[in-house]
Amino acid sequence: MVERFKGELPAIVRFLAFPAAFLPLGQALTFAVRRFARRKPAMFDRLGDYGRCSFLIAPTDLDFAFLVVPDGARAEVRTLTRRHGVEADVTVKGPLLVLLGLLDGTFDGDALFFNRTIDVAGRTDALVAFRNAIEDAELKPSDFVGLKGEIAGLLDKWVFRGLDMARRLTGAPMGGEAR
Amino acid sequence: MELVCPAGTPAALRAAVDAGADSVYCGFRNETNARNFPGLNFSDAEMAEGVAYAHAHGARVLVAINTFAKAGAMKSWADALAVADQAGADAVILADLAVLDHAARHHPRLKLHLSVQAAAATPEAIKFYADTFGVRRVVMPRVLSVEEIAKLNAAIDVETEAFVFGGLCPMTEGRCALSSYATGKSPNLTGVCSPPEHVAYSNDRDSTATRLNGFTIDRFGRDEAAGYPTLCKGRFVAGGKTSYLFEDPVSLNAASLIAALSKAGVTALKIEGRQRGKGYVAEVVKTFRAAVEAVEAGRDEVEVGRLLAGLVEGGRQTSGAYKKTWR
Repeated sequence: MVERFKGELPAIVRFLAFPAAFLPLGQALTFAVRRFARRKPAMFDRLGDYGRCSFLIAPTDLDFAFLVVPDGARAEVRTLTRRHGVEADVTVKGPLLVLLGLLDGTFDGDALFFNRTIDVAGRTDALVAFRNAIEDAELKPSDFVGLKGEIAGLLDKWVFRGLDMARRLTGAPMGGEAR
Repeated sequence: MELVCPAGTPAALRAAVDAGADSVYCGFRNETNARNFPGLNFSDAEMAEGVAYAHAHGARVLVAINTFAKAGAMKSWADALAVADQAGADAVILADLAVLDHAARHHPRLKLHLSVQAAAATPEAIKFYADTFGVRRVVMPRVLSVEEIAKLNAAIDVETEAFVFGGLCPMTEGRCALSSYATGKSPNLTGVCSPPEHVAYSNDRDSTATRLNGFTIDRFGRDEAAGYPTLCKGRFVAGGKTSYLFEDPVSLNAASLIAALSKAGVTALKIEGRQRGKGYVAEVVKTFRAAVEAVEAGRDEVEVGRLLAGLVEGGRQTSGAYKKTWR
């Protein structure tokens, strides 16, 4: 029996977060990813042609998912509720806090796959390229909101501290533990 | 002992150096490198920056140019050697005779290491590489016990480097044709074992199936640990029984043998995992740095197996051929 990471958000959070699917979250994320692409194009160079693939990022503890086409300055992000039956080149499913830990490099994707914390399907070559490009980009929250300098450092510190606290509260592993 | 650590990206290189690596091994984004996966590896400029970062922090960079050159198409390998030399790399890790010959003739500054892909496991083979090309270090094939490595070291006068953690290959490194049988591509020639464009996972309610170019090579239940999608770690029916026929999905962990490997004359300990994330690199390097220092200081062993349990393939660890307990 495999010992999965914990870290599912409580049901109340899922309930409270559901209306977010109807907010213009997709447009906001699209804007943020395009801004990031302009600031740090190296990640998209590393991704190459796989940037035109579609990635369905589906948190198992939320009632909506994100469809991402990370095509640099032409990137698109859409939020989709479960009722949308969408085909994507790649699908990744897992708890939200774990998926966020993949974005910032806290967790190792292979380890999460080995212990079945995440499920993947679709084009494995696109998934591997996406994972490696994200890994090297060393993503920080400030990159997406366009902040620089001291204020960017403060934002990153508080967001990472918040994520650490959320992982502690949900029983997910922390950075430095069984990643 | 020297700790040799993996880096698939510049971020992983920095993570390895910051976590205490003595040396970092990495490769270019092309077929010269036995970890030629999409989105992985270094551009020419990134290699120069990586070497500069490592040197500024007292670490060395070893560039893996460890596939076998194609007949009549040597240019990629010659270019990789030239770029590694120009970037200031400390050594190159090579397997192919022609590439070794080219490096010895045209890049005398570069220290030559013999890749595990060359599968040199006898004093005669190692002596040939040392005498002919000036090879100064040999990466030990993962088929030898600690006692066999000790005997080998007594018979040769080049350094040896032994894997201590990470993925395992079955016992034909550099000569394995399983991946090319199923996909037409192999780590030996194109730098990819089970190239990801041929790998597909399909999930149903109770299980996940792994397919390699249409062949179903494994199926694991919801609560069963998974491994890499390679034929050597697939499950097959033989003699009426379904089992891992070649090798179980399991990670090498030889932390408890660090002192024995040192006594056997091993110069450097190698961590596998250039395809892994920087979370893995930082954690494994930090843990093995502490383990090596504990052994050298005569302190209690670090519990590496427990600390790294969440990172291992198939949820299991083995000392592999070092102990040969099956004998």
